[in-house]
Amino acid sequence: MHAFIQSVKRQPIWLFIIACIIFFSFSNEYFFAVNNFQNILVQTSTIGLIALGMTFVMINGNIDLSVGSTVALAASLAVGLQGALGIPMAVVIGLGAGVLIGAINGLIVWKTGVDAFIVTLGAMIGVRGLVFVYTEEQSFYASNFAYSDFGMSSIFSLPVLALIFIALTIVAHILLKYTLHGRNVYAVGGNRKAAIEAGIKVGPHMLINFMLIGFMAALSGILLSTQMGASTPNLGRDYELWTITAVVLGGTRLNGGAGTIIGTLGGVLAIGILRNGMNLMQVPSFYVLVIMGSILITVLFLDKRLNVTASKGVQI
Amino acid sequence: MSHNRPNPSHKTLASTALKSVVASFTVAALSMGVAQAEDRLRIGITQNNVGVDSYQTTYETAFKEAAAQRDDVATVVLDAGGDVARQIAQMQDLIQQNVDAIIIWPTNGQAVVPVVRQAHNAGIPVVVTNSNIAEAGQDFIASFSGPNNILQGQYSAEMMCDQLGGEGQIVQITGQPGYTTAIERQKGFEDRLAEICPDVDLMESQPGDWNREKAQRVMEGFLTKYDTIDGVYSGDDNMGVGALNAAKAAGRADEIKFFGATNFAVGYEAMERGEYHGSVYQSPAEDARNALQTAIDVANGEDVPKLNYFDTPKITQDNMSEFEKPVF
Amino acid sequence: MKASLPMSNSSTVATDNRKRVLQFLGKHGILLAFLLCMMIFSLTTDRFLSTGNLLTVLMQVSILGTIALGVTFVVIGGNLDLSVGSLLSFATVLVVDLHDKVGPTQAIVLTIVFTLIIGAINGTLVGYLKLNSLIVTLGMLSAIQGITLIYTSGQNVDIQDQENTWFAFFGREAIFGIPVPAIIFIGLAIILQVVLLKTAFGRKVFAIGGNGVAAAFSGIYRNRMVFSTYLLSAFTTACAAIILGSRVMGSQNNVGQGYELQVLAGVILGGTSLLGGSGSIMRTVIGILILGFIQNGLLLLGYPYYAQWLVTWVVIILAVWLDIAAKRGRLLNDF
Repeated sequence: MHAFIQSVKRQPIWLFIIACIIFFSFSNEYFFAVNNFQNILVQTSTIGLIALGMTFVMINGNIDLSVGSTVALAASLAVGLQGALGIPMAVVIGLGAGVLIGAINGLIVWKTGVDAFIVTLGAMIGVRGLVFVYTEEQSFYASNFAYSDFGMSSIFSLPVLALIFIALTIVAHILLKYTLHGRNVYAVGGNRKAAIEAGIKVGPHMLINFMLIGFMAALSGILLSTQMGASTPNLGRDYELWTITAVVLGGTRLNGGAGTIIGTLGGVLAIGILRNGMNLMQVPSFYVLVIMGSILITVLFLDKRLNVTASKGVQI
Repeated sequence: MSHNRPNPSHKTLASTALKSVVASFTVAALSMGVAQAEDRLRIGITQNNVGVDSYQTTYETAFKEAAAQRDDVATVVLDAGGDVARQIAQMQDLIQQNVDAIIIWPTNGQAVVPVVRQAHNAGIPVVVTNSNIAEAGQDFIASFSGPNNILQGQYSAEMMCDQLGGEGQIVQITGQPGYTTAIERQKGFEDRLAEICPDVDLMESQPGDWNREKAQRVMEGFLTKYDTIDGVYSGDDNMGVGALNAAKAAGRADEIKFFGATNFAVGYEAMERGEYHGSVYQSPAEDARNALQTAIDVANGEDVPKLNYFDTPKITQDNMSEFEKPVF
Repeated sequence: MKASLPMSNSSTVATDNRKRVLQFLGKHGILLAFLLCMMIFSLTTDRFLSTGNLLTVLMQVSILGTIALGVTFVVIGGNLDLSVGSLLSFATVLVVDLHDKVGPTQAIVLTIVFTLIIGAINGTLVGYLKLNSLIVTLGMLSAIQGITLIYTSGQNVDIQDQENTWFAFFGREAIFGIPVPAIIFIGLAIILQVVLLKTAFGRKVFAIGGNGVAAAFSGIYRNRMVFSTYLLSAFTTACAAIILGSRVMGSQNNVGQGYELQVLAGVILGGTSLLGGSGSIMRTVIGILILGFIQNGLLLLGYPYYAQWLVTWVVIILAVWLDIAAKRGRLLNDF
């Protein structure tokens, strides 16, 4: 618990979230309600699940731009194949496709040494092509309402999607903080050469993280498709941008070496709360774009300032 | 990683900055005026993608104006920015606010069915506007209000067939792939054309994404690829004018007949100049007013027809004087 | 080609040869790829290698290409610019809207001025405040799109009298049969190539993107140079907007959506390193042309439009891999 409080203190994003909650609660009567917080959790789970995987990849000093396309691929496969193969098998294939895309990205990054930004930019374009080849531009829908009922269902009056997100957040936090793999994530991102010299198998390590994010993106896509009872070939466009935004807002360094799951959770919630609050307040959509962009840059600026002062303090 | 020391400047900077952020938010909130009376009907709308083209923007403006004229109605106007997931979130937010009726302009006809069902189960009537949702969702909506896009595609096929004299080689520029309006117009056009004009050969279709410049590029490709093009059908006039631009640049506009849908001002003007040959007249203001009225009726518990189409007539050079120039 | 991971001393000659081949491919690979791609399309479709088609492609890539010229400078300087898509929308809307309000000359001048102001904001945030360029320009991508929509209230803008304005020159006319957009693109490319290679400015851009930043240059100096590269990318984006506005004689608010990634794909394909410090305008031009010809050729062959995305995926990774392998002297990474 103490560690948790420490993490919160370290993340200015949580102060921002508290400010947002207070502000929206006073300015809109519908905001501060259990139902609404459940909505926010469900809505953020899509980007949130991907962001959990992205945190590992980005602390590694890599990035994955192909997640939006993977979302569409997994959702299309899971919905498109369930008529022929049944829901469980279709979901497994969708998840498998995500892991496979991650493995391809990871292998290329490992073996060729091409920057992850370029590798996954290529994959972002190419995987979207695969989605269109497979779907032939069509939307698919689940004829069985059981599929979409899952996306809308609740356990102990908590939405299942929110529960999955919370559970995986905890798992990711433990994995990153308390395991050997987690420690290696920081080591590889902090100083790759030193990590190699310390005997860490950097290539396979990065491969695993790319497969992890491929899995998370696929899971996110499939869960999103259970909310829709359908999949569309355009699904997930721009998700890579919002995911990266959330992870950076949460304090993960783009150069790698630093970041936490608690911070990422904060970044994801900040975006979700802002969107939800502005919806409830009916901020015109044109202004939402400007506000989101400005906040992103402002938070980056504040974070930079705070870190500059902090690191100076350490040096002295 | 080790900048987690308690640091006085850390806190002050953060709190000052946060104060200013909160302050600017408050100003924004006040300037928007969120006060509302409790006894009015509350109607929420989630639109597809305002700002992507003038039709959707004019629709929103007309919707707000129509709502402002009614003392008994308060509206919550949202825009999904073309993103299905965001539209689902907005539907949930509207359900959460327990509005009296929801109007949805679907980003995708299939993907919104479960959330429409969710609203229905929560006892909130849903009116679908502009383009209908899939068959599976029809049980959960109170009414559809909008144009008949399949019929519009058929109209364009009829005008094309008529003006080409029953034979020729044509190309098609469709809207954004995966979007209902694009799919329905394409289907209506292709099916009807095959039915009434078997000798008109549809050589190729490519998407123009509702974007004039993209349509212009697609048409440039067609002009290189095919020596003879007798007609072009575009999913809307905005793209149709792009195709016309490309043909004019290649000096081949005279030999081609241009047809579109959703008559835009630029299409209307090109028709006046004799360069553009047919479209379907569809008023976004009427679309918006129709949707609002349907939603009000539904919220008041009145009976409304399940399919509430408004009229979208053919417009050609011959009859265009009967129509006012579109404002968008 | 099999992996060359375990290097044995007995095969030094073979390794040397392999190194030489790799270096040759790294240096000229992009050109070879370009020729190869031209050859395949010429052999498989008879319409590809016609003057008309080649000029059409050149004209079609000129908007993308013009933006890529400025972005190449930003990338060589070690930064990214993802805001150019929205900036293109902003500038096109502005030049078209102002055309009828204040006249073509003033519209062009004002558009360039306002676009440069936004470039200066980018430049200040990345150059002087030293914020990460990826996130800054991502934020600007969103903010500029919003500003554009607020400016037009979401309406399309159009030029009324399209037949009688000299503004048509930039997008619709041709000189000696060559479309003006292509002339602007190639002309700017030549000028900027000279600037990059032959001037002090160009050398400094390489220097700030290179490794020895801190050692060789003072902070203020770096800041000013980064600032300038963003002004340049804003300027070339404004030029592209003028071509686009003149070509369409109208604009939607999201006309530039997605351009930022296509531009980046072209720049990367041309072999400009994302780490900064290396790159070339001419190679960016070839990268952009390859993208254009792949798209054009596949469509002529009758493949659906999304086939080009799959080919782009493979081509980008192969091109960059080859480039890196040449510098490394080996095909595969060593960890």
